[in-house]
Amino acid sequence: MSNIPDSPAELESQGAIQDIGSQAKVYAARIRLQNAIDQADALDAIREIAANLIGTEEVAVFKVDKKRSELWLYWSFGVDPNKHSVLEVSRESKLKQVLGGKPVYRLRLSNENLLSTDDPVSALVPILVDGSACAVIVLFRLFPHKPGIEPVDREICEVLSNCAGRAIEPYHSR
Amino acid sequence: MPKKVLLVDDSTTTLMMEEMILKQRTAYECVTAKDGLDAISRAVVEAPDLVLMDVVMPRMNGFEACKRMRLEGSLRDTPIILVTTRGEEEYVEAGFQSGCNDYITKPIDSFELVTLLHSYLGE
Repeated sequence: MSNIPDSPAELESQGAIQDIGSQAKVYAARIRLQNAIDQADALDAIREIAANLIGTEEVAVFKVDKKRSELWLYWSFGVDPNKHSVLEVSRESKLKQVLGGKPVYRLRLSNENLLSTDDPVSALVPILVDGSACAVIVLFRLFPHKPGIEPVDREICEVLSNCAGRAIEPYHSR
Repeated sequence: MPKKVLLVDDSTTTLMMEEMILKQRTAYECVTAKDGLDAISRAVVEAPDLVLMDVVMPRMNGFEACKRMRLEGSLRDTPIILVTTRGEEEYVEAGFQSGCNDYITKPIDSFELVTLLHSYLGE
C-alpha cells in the first residue's frame, strides 16, 4: 500500500491527520501518567508510553543521589540491569545537561552515543519534581523500523519529564 | 449507519490514542476490548465491521484471538488488522497464518492507520 499523497489536497489531508495523530499521542501520554494510581502503575505507564507511542521496549529509570554525582538504577524493562546499575555524572557529559532539566536526544544520523555504554541510547529524559531533576528516564534502542526520535517523540518526552513524578515516589534520594 | 471498529489492546494509552484519531478523522464508531478473550466476546456481540488488534496481550494474544474469531461464523469474513511491534517477515507470516488480513507496526502512524481502515471500510 502506498501512502505517498498525489496532490496538494492529499498532502494537506495527510498533514492534518498526522497533526491529529501527534495530538492524540501527547494527550494519551499525559492522561495515562496523570491517572496512574500508584508508583507501580506509573512505572508501567512509562513502559507503555515508550513501547506504544515512542517505539522502544528498552527503558530504564535512574534516581539521582543526594550529591547529584551518581545515578542509581531504580527500575528497568528490556535491558540487562547488571550492565547499567550506576551512572557517574562526572563521566557522562550529557547527564550534566539532563540534570539541568532538559531532555537530550540522539540525532538521527549521529554515531555519538548519549552514554558511555555499548547499548545505543536514544534519549535521556529528566523526571522533574518541583522543577528539579530527581531521576532520569533512559530510552535505549528504538524498534528497527523506527528511524529516530521525531518531533512528536520530543513532545511525549516533555510530558514524561513533567508528569512522571509518581514513578519515583517517595522523592528522597539516596 | 456508521461502520463499527473493534479496538483491542491491553494498553489504555494505545486505546485512547487510536480512539481519538478515529473519532476525529473518520465517521467510524469505536468499541474496545482489553485482551484476546474479551475481544472475541465483544466481537460476537457487537459484530464489528473491522477489528484492529494488538498481538502481545495477557490471557489471550492477538494471533490466538484471530484464529478463534475465524472459527465464529459471524466473524469469518470480518477484516482483522494486527498491530505489532515487529515488522520482521517471520512475525508477519505468523499473523497471516492466524487469519489476519493486514498488519500495522507500532508506534502507529495516524495517516497509515486512517488510510488502511479507509481501504477496508471506505470513507
